[in-house]
Amino acid sequence: STSSVLSTDKDKSAASKDSTTEGASKKKEDGAETPKQQLLDIIGNMKVEVSYRKKLQQLKASENKKQAMSKLEGLDSAGSVPQGTTEDTQRGKPLNPELVKAASAVASSLPNNKKQTESELLAQLRRHEETTDKQKKGGTINIRNIISEMTIKRQSPAQRGARITGRISLQLDEDGQRIRPERSSALSIDSRRYFCFFFFVYRSLKVGKRLNIFTKASRESEHALKTVFSPTIWDLEFAKEVAAVTAQPPRNGFEEMIQWTKEGILWEFPINNEVGMEDDAEFHEHIFLEKHLEAFPKEGPIRHFMELVICGLSKNPYLSVKQKIEHIEWFQKYFEEKKELIQEI
Amino acid sequence: MAAAALSWALRAARQVLPSPCPRQVRTYYVDWRMLRDVKRRKMAYEYADLRLRINAIRKNSILPKELQEVADKEITALPRDSCPVRIRNRCVLTSRPRGVKRRWRLSRIVFRHFADHAEMSGVQRAMW
Repeated sequence: STSSVLSTDKDKSAASKDSTTEGASKKKEDGAETPKQQLLDIIGNMKVEVSYRKKLQQLKASENKKQAMSKLEGLDSAGSVPQGTTEDTQRGKPLNPELVKAASAVASSLPNNKKQTESELLAQLRRHEETTDKQKKGGTINIRNIISEMTIKRQSPAQRGARITGRISLQLDEDGQRIRPERSSALSIDSRRYFCFFFFVYRSLKVGKRLNIFTKASRESEHALKTVFSPTIWDLEFAKEVAAVTAQPPRNGFEEMIQWTKEGILWEFPINNEVGMEDDAEFHEHIFLEKHLEAFPKEGPIRHFMELVICGLSKNPYLSVKQKIEHIEWFQKYFEEKKELIQEI
Repeated sequence: MAAAALSWALRAARQVLPSPCPRQVRTYYVDWRMLRDVKRRKMAYEYADLRLRINAIRKNSILPKELQEVADKEITALPRDSCPVRIRNRCVLTSRPRGVKRRWRLSRIVFRHFADHAEMSGVQRAMW
């Protein structure tokens, strides 16, 4: 179907369309509903768009084959193939005789050059057969090979709601599964899935045929590292001097804002809410703090009290994990000091 | 030789450059009361965690009362300036203890002075 649905030559397509529609209308006027009539109707309703180049190529090919066939016939008359069936068996596969009959009937019904129209129709039919055969075999079309490797990731509707559209800054690894660890892991997973929802995902980039488009980049730049000594005081001073002199006063508001951002007076936009707090801990380390309670007695008011403390800490978004652990450890020390008191009670 | 001449030229050029517009430089606190307030704030910041934890033990209905009494004594033993209650939101420029607007940390007189000279961003005389 890919060969047929291509750039069109308007005259030819219009002519073919007109001819097919005229044929269909004429057949309908007859009225008889034989299977032959139905076939003809189907053919008449088929709107085929033909590309001029392909037609020329086919005509040339057909001419060459005719010449070859004629030469063969000339050479050995014993194996002569009747000329009537040359066109049918040109491509090596016989067409459906009913289709041939229908094509001949359509051609006869049309006012133009009958033999030419018949040959054109047969050629088109043959092309259709070829393409269907090729698609069945799955040989020529390369997209199939690529699509077969792709999978679509399924999303749950709940996750779709939580996705943030602005976060398209992600980096897919080879498998499309491992992500570079970012600060907010939940957000990055959502953005990755959002990305994958609309695009097919390669299972692996290294599986499949190599196209050999790119050559491997040479790794010399990595090895050629200069041995840098720690900069001396004089170097630092010189660098400071140069920076101080070359720092011209800002020419406009933009440069002023850039300068302020470098100094730290102005925040960076888009505003990053987590500038000071680089918390690399996962959410479960913030919430499930019971493992720190192992040093406490398992029953009694102290345990009850500490469980309340942990409940409060798990809901606290402002403290880091270290601070929370310190909090719990402080209580541990305090109660250990007061052990004698507690035992009196 | 050339490098030395270049660096001398750079230094000369740096001195010629105009310094940024000078603002009022304050090297001292306005008065001693302001200084004491600053000290109290620093101490309150240091002891904040400790006070929070001891208070958590005190204000409790689960732990035994003896523990809570001990915690009471501990918290009173802490230095007096460590409690946040002693902090007074004074005016930043004049150290006025009363009539200070929290958003600008300025007393009403200073605020009015700046607002009338159009030095307060987004502040306008009300008229309706």
